[in-house]
Amino acid sequence: MSFFKLLRILIFRNIQENKFLTFLSIFGIALGIALFTGVKVASDKAIASFESNIQGIISYSNYEIVDISGIDFNENIYVKIREIEDNCFPLLQTFAYVPELKDSVEINGIFTVKATQFLKLIPSEAHFSNPESHSRGFFEKYNFDDFYRQTNAVFITKNFAARHAIKKGDIFKAIVYDREYPLKVVDIMDSDILITNTIIMDIGNFQEYFGKTGALSKIDIFTDEHNANIIKSVLPSNLRIERKENIFKNQTAIVKSFRYNLQFVSLIAVLVGIFMLYNTVFISVVKRRTEIGILRSLGADKKIIIMLFTSNGLILGTIGSIIGILLGQITAYFSTIAVEKTISTMYTAITIADYGINVKDAVISLLFGIIVSLIASIIPAFEASNIRPNESSREGSFERRYAKFHKWFFTSGIFFILAGIGISYIDYYYAPFTAPIFAYTGIIMLIAGFTLASSFYFFILLKLFRIPIKKVFGIIGEIASGDIYGNLHRFSVALMSVAISGALIIAFLTIIFSFRTSLNKWIHKNITADVYIKPASCRANYCFYPVSENVIKTVESFSEVSGIDKFRGMQVDVYGKKIIAGFADIKVKREHLYKKYKDENYEMILSEMEGDEPIAGISDFLSIKYGLGKGDKLPVYTPEGIVNFKINDVFSSYSTTSGFVYIDRKWLKKYWGLDDTTQFSVYLKENVDADLFIRKLRDSLKLNYSFEIMNNQELRNRIIFIFNRTFAITYVIEIISIIISLIGVVNTLLALAFERKREISIIRYLGGTWKQITQIFLLSAGIIATSGILYSILLGPLMSIILIEVVNKLSFGWKIYFSIPYHYVAAVSILLFFTTLLSGLIPSGVARKIDPERFITFE
Amino acid sequence: MIKLEHVDKYYGSFHVLKDISFEVGKGEFLSIVGRSGSGKSTLLNIIGGMDKAESGKVIVDNEDISSYSDDKLTLYRRRKVGFIFQFFNLLPNITVFENISMPLILNNIMDEEKVKNFIKLVGLEGKEKSFPFQLSGGEQQRVAIARALIHSPEIILADEPTGSLDSETGAMIMELICGLMRNLGKTIIIVTHESYIAQYAGRIITIKDGIIYK
Ligand SMILES: Nc1ncnc2c1ncn2[C@@H]1O[C@H](COP(=O)(O)OP(=O)(O)OP(=O)(O)O)[C@@H](O)[C@H]1O
Ligand SMILES: [Mg+2]
Repeated sequence: MSFFKLLRILIFRNIQENKFLTFLSIFGIALGIALFTGVKVASDKAIASFESNIQGIISYSNYEIVDISGIDFNENIYVKIREIEDNCFPLLQTFAYVPELKDSVEINGIFTVKATQFLKLIPSEAHFSNPESHSRGFFEKYNFDDFYRQTNAVFITKNFAARHAIKKGDIFKAIVYDREYPLKVVDIMDSDILITNTIIMDIGNFQEYFGKTGALSKIDIFTDEHNANIIKSVLPSNLRIERKENIFKNQTAIVKSFRYNLQFVSLIAVLVGIFMLYNTVFISVVKRRTEIGILRSLGADKKIIIMLFTSNGLILGTIGSIIGILLGQITAYFSTIAVEKTISTMYTAITIADYGINVKDAVISLLFGIIVSLIASIIPAFEASNIRPNESSREGSFERRYAKFHKWFFTSGIFFILAGIGISYIDYYYAPFTAPIFAYTGIIMLIAGFTLASSFYFFILLKLFRIPIKKVFGIIGEIASGDIYGNLHRFSVALMSVAISGALIIAFLTIIFSFRTSLNKWIHKNITADVYIKPASCRANYCFYPVSENVIKTVESFSEVSGIDKFRGMQVDVYGKKIIAGFADIKVKREHLYKKYKDENYEMILSEMEGDEPIAGISDFLSIKYGLGKGDKLPVYTPEGIVNFKINDVFSSYSTTSGFVYIDRKWLKKYWGLDDTTQFSVYLKENVDADLFIRKLRDSLKLNYSFEIMNNQELRNRIIFIFNRTFAITYVIEIISIIISLIGVVNTLLALAFERKREISIIRYLGGTWKQITQIFLLSAGIIATSGILYSILLGPLMSIILIEVVNKLSFGWKIYFSIPYHYVAAVSILLFFTTLLSGLIPSGVARKIDPERFITFE
Repeated sequence: MIKLEHVDKYYGSFHVLKDISFEVGKGEFLSIVGRSGSGKSTLLNIIGGMDKAESGKVIVDNEDISSYSDDKLTLYRRRKVGFIFQFFNLLPNITVFENISMPLILNNIMDEEKVKNFIKLVGLEGKEKSFPFQLSGGEQQRVAIARALIHSPEIILADEPTGSLDSETGAMIMELICGLMRNLGKTIIIVTHESYIAQYAGRIITIKDGIIYK
């Protein structure tokens, strides 16, 4: 085929010749695609793991019975339910932490006899003689002998055993509830249904060993709607039967918004990479316009020109995507760890054992890479096809064609910018979807708009500064600015590279800074106690399993203690969605608040909460999602029916993304019939040394219990640490996008230099020295850098406002105080300026190395 | 073969070609002379389908190419026309061999033997693998001549083929062109402002300020 011959001699050879440029663009795309792939894989796996976590170990049950508050309940109900539907399966479960393995596990107490049906576990004949299950003899037989007989006997999964090199018979210590317990592995299960970190125990042993006699966490049921309705009618008011599907929908929605965020940021990285590809193809078209004109005069039609230059981009894009997918395996590994940690602290403990990219992921990424590189290269390819056959004889006509469109581009650019702002505004006010899709689109439109408007912006800027530049830099200034002026379109592509880099940096810094500021305010207001105590088994911000009464008593017995704020974390239902309720001893908090935080208004709010009327404070999330404000009523589902709490405070809560309500403990007793504590904080008397107290407390608890005890400063540090860890992945992606965009700056300036061989030789011919050429290059780079950075000062803050005010608000339900870190922005802008200047130097060095004979004879 | 009827061409408000009409027969060797800026190249480009006139007809082989779409015009250039330019217009990053092959590749009739023959014909044996920048001006123009002829077009258009060569080399190039033409029987139009070149031609047309003087 003649097309491939042309491709080989006209495109391949050119790609090979410009090795450095080629390398840069492939590298840029590869990084973008690697991020995209890694993030996609990580979030897919996280969601799958999250789902199977909700699904639990009985993978085909379609209903579950749980307590409305997510706490354990009395097992008596099981007998009643079994009468209605035999396909039911009681479970007692808890998350535990294994310090020696640095891993969280979920311990499931199962009704062993029934488990043989549901889990397809087959005991040895001696202990189980159901003829039906014997017919499934092909399943493995497990050591049920020890499983029954030893109270601490557990089964673990094959994957878990492999991950930590655990053998049958091994014993490891796990922190369960508030104590440490040795667990003995009596067998290893070879099952595909179970997620890696599942541990199975007999329910009787579980109740006995962990002191949970008579308790169940949930009952999994496989039944039809009819029976489900009957069951519903016999359940006491604290229990509820729910379809698993509904639970998925509700729960995964939160995780999904986290995922969208990551994916959007990685998309920006891809876009930046693609912009680079566009630059490369575009510059190649500009540079080769004479050749294209010759080809056209020889009778190459538009179609072939389009195909050739599209292939140029496609080849780079495809190679980049393939490398990106390979690199994606590494990013997938790190993103998986990051996502796992984040979801575990923010939502629920999950573990992802597998972070491999499968064929489907690879194909999707490859297709994605190919499609976007197609889009990126088709535009310059069309430009190429519009080059006239006699173009060669008319220098500069290529640019002039664009000059006509400057204003038109500018107008449509402004339109895009306004539309982008408008569409984000829609999300701000109406939030039609759970994910901030409009805001994402808005940001992309903003970038597109700025890109379109860039050449006119550059034109105006040059018009204003051409004369001053001439005055300051003399002949060098005249040549450099004239050069840019005459090739505005090309140079605005370079300007845009700098602007995108700058905007990303500004947005990134602003977001981090705003977060920091907001978080510090939150910490200042909320972390007011001297000592914080929670069960070591609890790895999340909020704990849901009560601590032993004795522990509280022990703490109370210390004379140093002035007050204990007993806190009960619980899941409650609001408008059919699960949110976290925190029941606190508000009086204790209010009375001790003044030591660390003085705010009369807040003290007023707290003392209102202590009153006889049910009052609650809510987090921004609830006010954003349901439009609730001070004075409104919050309907909370309790075992006593729906109770309307009057809202007297709306505050930020960065410890959860699913909504938080703050209530006085007395309502816990009244409506839930509970008076237990899941974590607590201690206020010490004046002049008591907190660390000394902690040491004493640790000593008295360490024999029987496992608690995590921190002083005020430690907790503050930890919160900041967790917060940073949560956003570490976003930060990393953003930093990589910035790196890609910086590569883009170098790439564009380099390409421009190659393209200007002709000008260089003319200057040389006219007697210009290399030094002067270098100066011209530097000055052009300086002009590009300055104009680009100025441009980014418009784009960056706009982007960050949308990210903070719309995207964050919708995704996490967090309000964040927008604040720009002026010093950092200034420092980084200066850095960007010199980076750009430097990338202006590289080409002048390279230009010098280019086979001088080759382009001098060319003249 | 080629017939121009009342052709007008403007660049903006500048009237470059004014009501041009003339005819070139098959196998004829026509030379267009005139001062710089008189519109010679413009006229040649219009005949070659590289540019379009604002009004008038350009009839080639009984077809009015001025009514052609861009695609048809491209096809016309590819099949029927061979161009020789003042500045050679070789593709800089490909070899002599590949440059000469280009029309064959575009017409999808690649034939290596034929390319080798033409290289011999224009006297460039041993230079097949050279790149244009490694050749002298005269050698580059030889490549361009081979490229213009290789796909056996019916019309050869040459715009000052010797314009950027010294007179001695120029004469050699003209000998080469004329020698080849005589054998091949093509229709050929050469633009030049050096009158000595025009003597090779069978007929001479003079153009001045966009008007033809026969
Ligand atoms: N693209 C264009 N835009 C504007 N004016 C043009 C353009 N191309 C040619 N001209 C003008 O048209 C006139 C004729 O140009 P043309 O190139 O045909 O002249 P020529 O006779 O070939 O000159 P020379 O002998 O110098 O090659 C010139 O005055 C030129 O300035
Ligand atoms: Mg001319």
